[in-house]
Amino acid sequence: MTTTLHKPAELQQTVPPAGVTRPKRLGQRAVGFFMALPPILLIAIFVGFPIVLAFGFSIGLTGGLNHTIATIGQNVHEADAWWGTLAAYQEMFTNKRFLGDLLVTVIVTLVSTATVIFLALGIGLYLKLKGGRMARLLSGLAIVPLFIPVVIASWAILTFYSGTGFLRSVFALFGVDFPVWAFTMVTVIIGSVWTSLPFAVLMVSSGLQSVPNAMIEAARDAGAGSLRTIVSVIVPMAAVPIIIATTFTAIGIVGSFTVPYFTGPNSPNMLGVDMSNYFSAFNQPQQSAVMAFTVFLIASGIAALYVWANFRSAKEQGKA
Amino acid sequence: MAITAASRTRRPLTLDSIVRSALVGLFVVLMVVFILGPLLWLGVRAFAGNWTFPNLLPDDWTLRWWQVVVNDGALGIAVQNSLFFAPLTVLVSAIICLPAAYAFARFDFPGRRFFLISLFATNAFPKMGLFVTLAALFYALNLMNTVLGILVVHVLGTVVFMTWIPAAAFAAVPRNLEEAARDAGASKLRVFASVTLPMALPGIIVAAVMSFLASFDEAQGTYLVGAPAFMTMPTQMYSLVLNYPTQVAAVFSILLAIPSVALMLAAHKHILGGQLAEGFQIK
Repeated sequence: MTTTLHKPAELQQTVPPAGVTRPKRLGQRAVGFFMALPPILLIAIFVGFPIVLAFGFSIGLTGGLNHTIATIGQNVHEADAWWGTLAAYQEMFTNKRFLGDLLVTVIVTLVSTATVIFLALGIGLYLKLKGGRMARLLSGLAIVPLFIPVVIASWAILTFYSGTGFLRSVFALFGVDFPVWAFTMVTVIIGSVWTSLPFAVLMVSSGLQSVPNAMIEAARDAGAGSLRTIVSVIVPMAAVPIIIATTFTAIGIVGSFTVPYFTGPNSPNMLGVDMSNYFSAFNQPQQSAVMAFTVFLIASGIAALYVWANFRSAKEQGKA
Repeated sequence: MAITAASRTRRPLTLDSIVRSALVGLFVVLMVVFILGPLLWLGVRAFAGNWTFPNLLPDDWTLRWWQVVVNDGALGIAVQNSLFFAPLTVLVSAIICLPAAYAFARFDFPGRRFFLISLFATNAFPKMGLFVTLAALFYALNLMNTVLGILVVHVLGTVVFMTWIPAAAFAAVPRNLEEAARDAGASKLRVFASVTLPMALPGIIVAAVMSFLASFDEAQGTYLVGAPAFMTMPTQMYSLVLNYPTQVAAVFSILLAIPSVALMLAAHKHILGGQLAEGFQIK
């Protein structure tokens, strides 16, 4: 598609990129293309194509491959113009339940992502600047959720904060009536933070570790305090991994299902849960598709940030 | 007060440093409760008889719930299904993705960047939304409630791991080592088998572990596409939590966590060593 390709940064640091040591041969390029093709085809067929199909369905194009689902589903708006109809979107965007869910989804995503990145930065910086047993213990702890299937984690968190859970038990022993957090958005946020923490910590601390110690020493020698060193030297130098961690965390949370399904209230809950409700329980697949595209829209905004961060880093490394 | 190299080696015991240590200690305690608390609370439940609120431990202990799980046919089938789909997913995913990973690392071809970004698209689109859109196609192709349909859902969830992480691992193999082997007279295949592959193996193992777990833990898509014809361990958890005593779900949770914990412990050195983080920085 494009001829000005950026080579992987790792490649440039360790080895000369492809095509420099040897002349670019047409055969080799073709081999590379065809080796890379299978996963792309898989995604084109089972991700790209269904998305196009479902978008057609969401705007009321119920013919062709959409015929089966349009017959099974209830409350399907059919196209009244050649390009389709916005009736399903109109229905959902005037639906109080959907708008409430949308708001909840955005709030949970913002709060959880901010908390995750804050914790990951704190742990990563502590590991980088202080080191020692305490720091290793902290980062080890933060990785634990990676070992636990999300289904179990959600359920464990639900029981921990439930009416007869640990927190309420401990406070009851002191005669304090602690609020029940189970089935509220509080546990959804707690669960989202819990499950997203390992990836963010791995990503952020690996980024922070690669900031050269000499740079930090130099900043300190120049008289910068701890905070100043962190804000204007360390964090900017690890910006790309931090942005990657932020985007992946946010995308994971915005579309999450298991955590809010287990720990959240019936309504309003996050869009992932309601999407599944509309699809299975209410048998309104078109409305479900509208929700999916709303979430896609939010996610693609976040994804654009990720792609931009990667391009930027590729460009920077290319100049270096 | 700035932390300098000197103060790190011999720090005077000031009020400032005591407060700081106390705050760090408090944070660690909170993190322990936050991360490990729910797991321990759940673990204890699997061996609990009666449990009176607000006691911190059960009134009596029993192994009865383990027997319930072992004797329950539906739960056994779920275990079998999970152990069937997970290895199959890893195998299929490896066959599809590993050659592509090598190509991304070693060849420069038209559309390379476009391909990498489209791979990312599977991760950028929220899973539940994808499954809802996929369902329309599955209805049309008669893939609902079929092994192939579930396999497709599981493999889709592993493509990013199986491509990116091994690609970064292949890219990190020094090219001059391969060339030295070529100069010594080794064939291309020989070089790949005895130089490139062994050096990239940790990355491939991490990818395989992550893929196995992605399949083993996949719940939402399997539920939407496979339930109730094919219940795996995680989808069984959905109904378990509603229909069984909490202790049974606790036992089942422990069983479900065993493979994850075992695999992660086996590969944790590579995962913490940056293979995972490396793989997610595609360029």
